[in-house]
Amino acid sequence: MKISNNWLKDYLEFDLNADETADALTLLGLEVDDIETIGGNFDGFVVGEVLEVKSHPNADRLTVCSVNTGSETVQIVCGAKNVAAGQKVPVATVGSTLPVLMEDGSSLTIKKAKLRGEVSEGMICSESELGFSDDHEGIMVLNPDLKTGAPLKEALKLEHDTVFEIGLTPNRPDAACHIGVARDLGARIGKSIKNPYEQDEKDAKPLDKWINIEIKDTEKCHRYAAKIVEGVQVGDSPAWLQNRLRAIGLRPINNVVDATNYVMHEIGQPLHAFDYTNIAGKKIVVQSFDKVTEFTTLDDQKRKVPANTLFICDGEKPVAVAGVMGGLNSEVTESTKTILIESAYFEPSAIRKASKQLTLQTDSSYRFERGIDPNLARRAADRAAKLISELAGGTIADGCTDNHPVKTEPKKVTLRISRVNQILGTSLKQEEAADILKRLEFGVKVTGDDTLECLVPTFRPDVTREIDLIEEVGRVFDYNNIPKPTSAPFFTPAPIQSWEKLGNRVRDIAVGLSYKEITTNSLLAAKEENLFSDEKSQITTLNPVSQDATTLRSQLTAGFLKTARYNLNRNEKTIRFFESGHVYSKDQKGTWFKGIREHSMLLLGICGYKNIESWNSKPTSFSFFDLKSDVDAFFAQLGISELISTSATENQKLTYSINDTEVAVITSPDKGVRDALDMDEAAFTAEIDITLLHQMGFSSKELKFTPIPKFPAFEFDAAFVTDTGVRAGDMTSLINKHGGSLLQKVQVFDVYEGENLGKGKKSIAFRLTFLDRNKTLNIKDVEPVVQKIVQAFDTEFGAKLRS
Amino acid sequence: MIDQIEELKKEILSADLSTDEALENYRLEFLSRKGKVQTMFGQMGKVALDQRAATGKAMNEVKILAQQRFDQAQLQCDSGSATAFTAFDDITLPVQPAYTGSLHPLTMALNEIKEIFLRLGFDIADGPEVEDDFHNFTALNFPPDHPARDMQDTFFIRKSETGAEDDLVLRTHTSPVQIRLMKEGKPPFRSIMPGRVYRNEAVTAKSYFQFNQVEGLYVDEKVTMAELIETLVMFAKMMYGTQVKYRVRPSFFPFTEPSIEMDVWWGDEKNGKWLEILGAGMVDPNVLEQVGIDPEKYTGYAFGMGVDRIAMLRYGIDDIRVLYENDIRFLNQFKG
Repeated sequence: MKISNNWLKDYLEFDLNADETADALTLLGLEVDDIETIGGNFDGFVVGEVLEVKSHPNADRLTVCSVNTGSETVQIVCGAKNVAAGQKVPVATVGSTLPVLMEDGSSLTIKKAKLRGEVSEGMICSESELGFSDDHEGIMVLNPDLKTGAPLKEALKLEHDTVFEIGLTPNRPDAACHIGVARDLGARIGKSIKNPYEQDEKDAKPLDKWINIEIKDTEKCHRYAAKIVEGVQVGDSPAWLQNRLRAIGLRPINNVVDATNYVMHEIGQPLHAFDYTNIAGKKIVVQSFDKVTEFTTLDDQKRKVPANTLFICDGEKPVAVAGVMGGLNSEVTESTKTILIESAYFEPSAIRKASKQLTLQTDSSYRFERGIDPNLARRAADRAAKLISELAGGTIADGCTDNHPVKTEPKKVTLRISRVNQILGTSLKQEEAADILKRLEFGVKVTGDDTLECLVPTFRPDVTREIDLIEEVGRVFDYNNIPKPTSAPFFTPAPIQSWEKLGNRVRDIAVGLSYKEITTNSLLAAKEENLFSDEKSQITTLNPVSQDATTLRSQLTAGFLKTARYNLNRNEKTIRFFESGHVYSKDQKGTWFKGIREHSMLLLGICGYKNIESWNSKPTSFSFFDLKSDVDAFFAQLGISELISTSATENQKLTYSINDTEVAVITSPDKGVRDALDMDEAAFTAEIDITLLHQMGFSSKELKFTPIPKFPAFEFDAAFVTDTGVRAGDMTSLINKHGGSLLQKVQVFDVYEGENLGKGKKSIAFRLTFLDRNKTLNIKDVEPVVQKIVQAFDTEFGAKLRS
Repeated sequence: MIDQIEELKKEILSADLSTDEALENYRLEFLSRKGKVQTMFGQMGKVALDQRAATGKAMNEVKILAQQRFDQAQLQCDSGSATAFTAFDDITLPVQPAYTGSLHPLTMALNEIKEIFLRLGFDIADGPEVEDDFHNFTALNFPPDHPARDMQDTFFIRKSETGAEDDLVLRTHTSPVQIRLMKEGKPPFRSIMPGRVYRNEAVTAKSYFQFNQVEGLYVDEKVTMAELIETLVMFAKMMYGTQVKYRVRPSFFPFTEPSIEMDVWWGDEKNGKWLEILGAGMVDPNVLEQVGIDPEKYTGYAFGMGVDRIAMLRYGIDDIRVLYENDIRFLNQFKG
């Protein structure tokens, strides 16, 4: 929302420069996002008269104009379609500099030039070139009454102004106008404002001769007031009004519409002006329909307005979408003679809903949906009627029809000074708090040593409770003035939660294993997630931001593969990434909510070259076993290796389980997946379910020292010949099963296939490490165990000891 | 006698030991049974009794010296002659540095934030990213159909038939964890709540549809705005240095009243500007009532900050998208 410094000064005297004003507003909670300076000196800019327009001999889109600048007649090449002989136009003469900067930040000075062969001495300006608005569609056409050759600055009464762009928070509808902003600033600098509005409503007789108002939907419309001005001459507004509106980014339309806009930006009451002659049956009916209604708004858009949207209707038809936009059918035009001014209070959520459904936010809906002052309608209508009659002539019909079925009384809220100081940590006195609230136009009555009874003005719908009053006191006092606390309370912090420790540990372990952390998107394209999960188990957003991010990931592998591809494409050779993040899927039970499984996972992924070509190494690619070794190390670091059992559920899929619960999987995404994600290289990924590990209680392993063995371990090597299909994992399990209490470790130190073994056979050599903490072992101690294992191998796998 | 010993010492020190042959000659001349060192010891009989101790000491020193020189020279000869210097013995040959692991800058910034608040006596709480409307909005004093909801564009996951409170959304802030924490426990609470959040926003240099927040909550008897501001100031000083210039200004959040935002001055005195680093406020009495805490007895403060934003400021990153691109050339810049 834009606030003009010149305009503010109509209501408040203050002596602050632009930066100081911006700081003061920001520290009051009206955050100034941007400061804009308007108007240069306009030296060399004059009112010109277009005498003749000819087409350019060498360019279709250009015209050659002959323009009288008062002192001479010059030829100007113009690119605008709307230029025509007889127009009064703003002309930048040779040597003048445009008040706005070019896109690259440089300024443009007008020179005599040849454009496609035709001499051009000056420039006919658009509104955007003059800094009046963003409108660069065509040149600006001036009031024909202006004197040819007059300096533009005087002709248009241009003045220098500073405009503050305020990021208004939704709780401050009162500050969506200049008087509201001036009131806050006045409270800060200790001055009261000059308010041009009556403070109280006077009785007025209804305009029964002119109009009859019926509010059918009193839930959505609490009040509807109307004024009539007859005999107006619709035309351009005077320069001062146009400048005011342009400064805050509005386009002047005509004196009637400009007056209603002016009042809205002055006091915050949205108004609408109807052409009275188009209001059928001298009737206004405020109502909603239970079906969709087709309606053309005054921006000439035919809209399908949803059922239950509030309309303003006349005796026959809808004439406006209440609080959002008027209809084309009752628009004020140049021929309008009698005006009906609408000044109403619409219920905020009704207008918000309508505006959202129509995807149409206007200055009017912006204010209604935040909540305007419900007791302003009459006074604003009076002000607008007066302004219109001043600007456009005409007579104000005596009286005002004011239908006001739902009345809002100012709230009374009690404020305890002790509570103010307890919340803010201040030691404010009763008078100080009272003074601040009075400056904000709250009614304040001392009702006790500690209490104030406050009457909340109805333009502050956000203030309903004591805590809201405390905020008012605090923000005007300035939170930066709150004294530093002199002591701090003791507090015994809770121990760090086990899942937090586990989360940090798994990251540390991954870094220790030389993985680089990545963070990828939780939302994937449906076609990406489809590679990994069934559509039925997927969780999707109902309103995705784009088709690339529709579906919550059920795994971290897709993100890894995409990231790996991104880096491979940029010539990286070695990819070792980890990610720790949430995955989501539908399931019966759910984690936090029934049906929604949300787990924290750790991904380890490798891809590309383990060793690149170098003088001391040959290039080698990563293999499944490289990742397996890291995952084993991961579980070893967590201290739970001995609980893990692994099994190959598919050729390229190794599952890690604890007590038959799957806690980790290593896979190599198949070619189909890689092709779909545009990956040429083989990649290997492990996903470890951290939520499960936490639920199983492995978050914080108690570290206990085990004495270093005093006696040496005894190693025994045994090679077996088996069918190639017999899995090493199964063999290892069998060894562990029969290994007895002395067996410490099982390693495979050789795997061999060869013709001498026979087709479909392999030799696999195990090294078994035995340890007794009380003595040195020898072959005799382990022989019975080895015998058992050899026998079991024969029975289970048909494997023979290789001699 | 002492003179002769000194003479022998000089001879030993000046002997040539550079070749195998010279070494053997040295051994024969000095160290053999009939060598000069043994011969020297044979002279002891001629030394006066009262000088024998000192002379014996000197002789021993010479003997040790002779042996040391021999041993050293022998070592050098061995290593020099046993292996020839090959092309691979050049230890100046460059090698590929070992691949190292690293944390993502978002994690590094988060760790830094966590560390600060752990020092200030906060613990850590957690909640889901798929959240219901009740925890994400309603309990946090966002009335349905209120413009405050527009401040946070929301991804919807499931529209409920049982009422808007049961709608599922991707959480738009970490504040719902406050509600979970307070509903499950009893005051005092003093926790921070880090996590990923989502807003339905187009991806640009300045915005992304996911980012990370750290929320903080302190509820106890007599918690004040003064304590809140002091806590935030301590945070700013620990995060940005003790010289940091800061200010607080009024703002609006439905779940705090009064609400503030904190800015720090970024850049030099003249060309710098205020940059918002966090939002905060006193927990709104409506929120406390929603979770069954008596707002007359207890007060509290809450604050929230964007980890992405803090990481970007801290490391001078001007485009949020690079955080989620994971270019190794980017990741490699963050050591530690």
